[in-house]
Amino acid sequence: MTTTVVRAHGLTKRYGSFTAIDGIDLSIDEGRIYGLLGRNGAGKTTVMQLLTGQIFPNGGELEVFGRQPAEHADVLRRMCFIAEAQRYPEDFTPAHVFRSAPWFFEHWDAEFAERLVADFRLPLKRRIKKLSRGQLSAVGVIVGLASRAPLTFFDEPYLGLDAVARHIFYDRLLEDYAAHPRTVVLSTHLIDEVANLLEHVILIDQGRILLDRDADEVRGSATTVAGARATVDQFVADRPVIGREAIGGLASVTIDGRLDHDERVRAAELGLELAPVSLQQLIVHLTGAELAESTEREVAA
Amino acid sequence: MDESRPIFLQVAEQIENDIVDGHVAEDAAIPSINELAAFHRINPATALKGVNRLVEQGLVAKRRGVGMFVVPGARERLIERRRAEFAAEYLRPLIVEAAKLGIGVDELAGMVREERILT
Amino acid sequence: MTAVTTESVRVAESSRRARPHEILRIVRLHTVNPAIFFGVPWLILAGAWAVTMVIALIIQAAAGPLDQAETGFEYSWAVLSPQWYLIVVGVQAVSYTFPFALGFGATRRDYWLGTGLMFVIVSVVNAAAIATLLLVERATNGWGIGAGMFDALWYVGADWGTAFYTTFALQLLVLFIGAGITTVYMRWRMRGMMTVLFGGVALILAIIAFLTFTETWEPLGTWLASIGVVGVFTLVLAKALLWAVAGLLVIRRATPR
Repeated sequence: MTTTVVRAHGLTKRYGSFTAIDGIDLSIDEGRIYGLLGRNGAGKTTVMQLLTGQIFPNGGELEVFGRQPAEHADVLRRMCFIAEAQRYPEDFTPAHVFRSAPWFFEHWDAEFAERLVADFRLPLKRRIKKLSRGQLSAVGVIVGLASRAPLTFFDEPYLGLDAVARHIFYDRLLEDYAAHPRTVVLSTHLIDEVANLLEHVILIDQGRILLDRDADEVRGSATTVAGARATVDQFVADRPVIGREAIGGLASVTIDGRLDHDERVRAAELGLELAPVSLQQLIVHLTGAELAESTEREVAA
Repeated sequence: MDESRPIFLQVAEQIENDIVDGHVAEDAAIPSINELAAFHRINPATALKGVNRLVEQGLVAKRRGVGMFVVPGARERLIERRRAEFAAEYLRPLIVEAAKLGIGVDELAGMVREERILT
Repeated sequence: MTAVTTESVRVAESSRRARPHEILRIVRLHTVNPAIFFGVPWLILAGAWAVTMVIALIIQAAAGPLDQAETGFEYSWAVLSPQWYLIVVGVQAVSYTFPFALGFGATRRDYWLGTGLMFVIVSVVNAAAIATLLLVERATNGWGIGAGMFDALWYVGADWGTAFYTTFALQLLVLFIGAGITTVYMRWRMRGMMTVLFGGVALILAIIAFLTFTETWEPLGTWLASIGVVGVFTLVLAKALLWAVAGLLVIRRATPR
């Protein structure tokens, strides 16, 4: 039996006339790693802020550990939220942060935190505001991991981290998650890198949920068919098309749906090329973006 | 990891390969879920799903408190199954591609023989 | 969405929903950087003391006899110099630690209670120190040179208890005003803060107008004189409590950026 730790129904958040979160339904089960995916400004941060009681919803129902999160100490003490723009008191150093963290997280593992500090080569005595973006992210990642909160949120946790540091994060997260199972929600727009860590994917776009499925179900759920335009069109005729590109007589069409063995053979016989669609590509198609990277600012500041 | 197919299937297939190749002997332990997850950098639940698939097929079995072990006879059964799949998985694409290039069945057979001498 | 067999965890409604340590940790958080609450205010007090000493030396050199000059110090505001600064301390305390504490899972209520407790502790320590320094100043006859830093304003003739009580009440009020204004900013941003500031000015003007037009300045003066210094500062303390309660109401829905 699965235990649900977050349940939202018709959850809505408005900023003036702008609707950041538009009546979403959501449930999060215990002991799994979730990916909250979407473009910048899609509403990922707002969802996390609502779930952790940082902001108040304008409508809908929300239960976290069976209660509204805001102002409920017994709910909040089970959560750790590492915001993308996590604020620290003026003049704090990372050492101060790690010294005060155990006051807030009862499962805090100081030894683990120390090991992570060494892994990330984080200067402990430097003022937070003098840290680089990557070092600042490392502080958040360390708090998020060492707090071992039953429900941990990482909002774009690795901005500014280099490839080595990011892989340290992935490895430590998996290791520690295996030893101390808990629920983790990870928001990111660098999807390919984390795709394999995720057990469940929630795709959000313009304040709405576009996709809410197990990662394994999503993987290989779309295929790109390329070849002569007429042949491609005939092959995909009655399938849901989520992307289409064409040059001259050639076409490349992405369809939502898995191809079985016979269909693959038929495609080969027709001279069509089949290419897998990665999670990232799928999301680019679903969110209707021509560009994977977007320069829009996160609205939900 | 191949992006097009569920990862748990690929995890299962890799362990199957190890059994067929003899890297993991019968009666020997396969890597733990956490080792698999760490090695492939995948979610432990996905690794578990892959291993469970092997359990369902009776290829590996759990020994309480010790881990997962390859069931005796697993290798033979895997080879048997793969032989059955060989035609569909390898021969048909080969014949389709050969036909595209105008290579007849006899010529293809000759090419196979020649390739075998070379290797 | 998951299977139908899901079951939600219901948090046990324990009697310990707010644990004392969850309020005390906010106090600890405020003491991580002691410069905010103690460092700067005491530096200002020390500076004011040094200036008073220099002035005393100059007067001594120019006028000679001490006793006549000493009365001039009674109108020195030097002793209040750190008190005004506490409005800044109140602002800083909340703006630096509130977003952090909330992010780390403190409730707004616990944060405010912890911050209020910190204010009380700070006011007690500072008031005790200032009241004691007042006695030291008297005992040393103005630090040996007839200077009057603490023995000024209403402190003249006040005993330790009165000095302590009045300082405590004043500090608490100033801290809560600073913190209260910041919570308004946290909840309603610039517009809210401006409304409160201009509203406050308008309220003061209205009171002045009311007292002037109804010619109640004199009765008010008589009444204040009748309740005495301690009575007046009890009003100050009541005002501090008013700000504390108002701050709690405001912060409960505040959302820092």
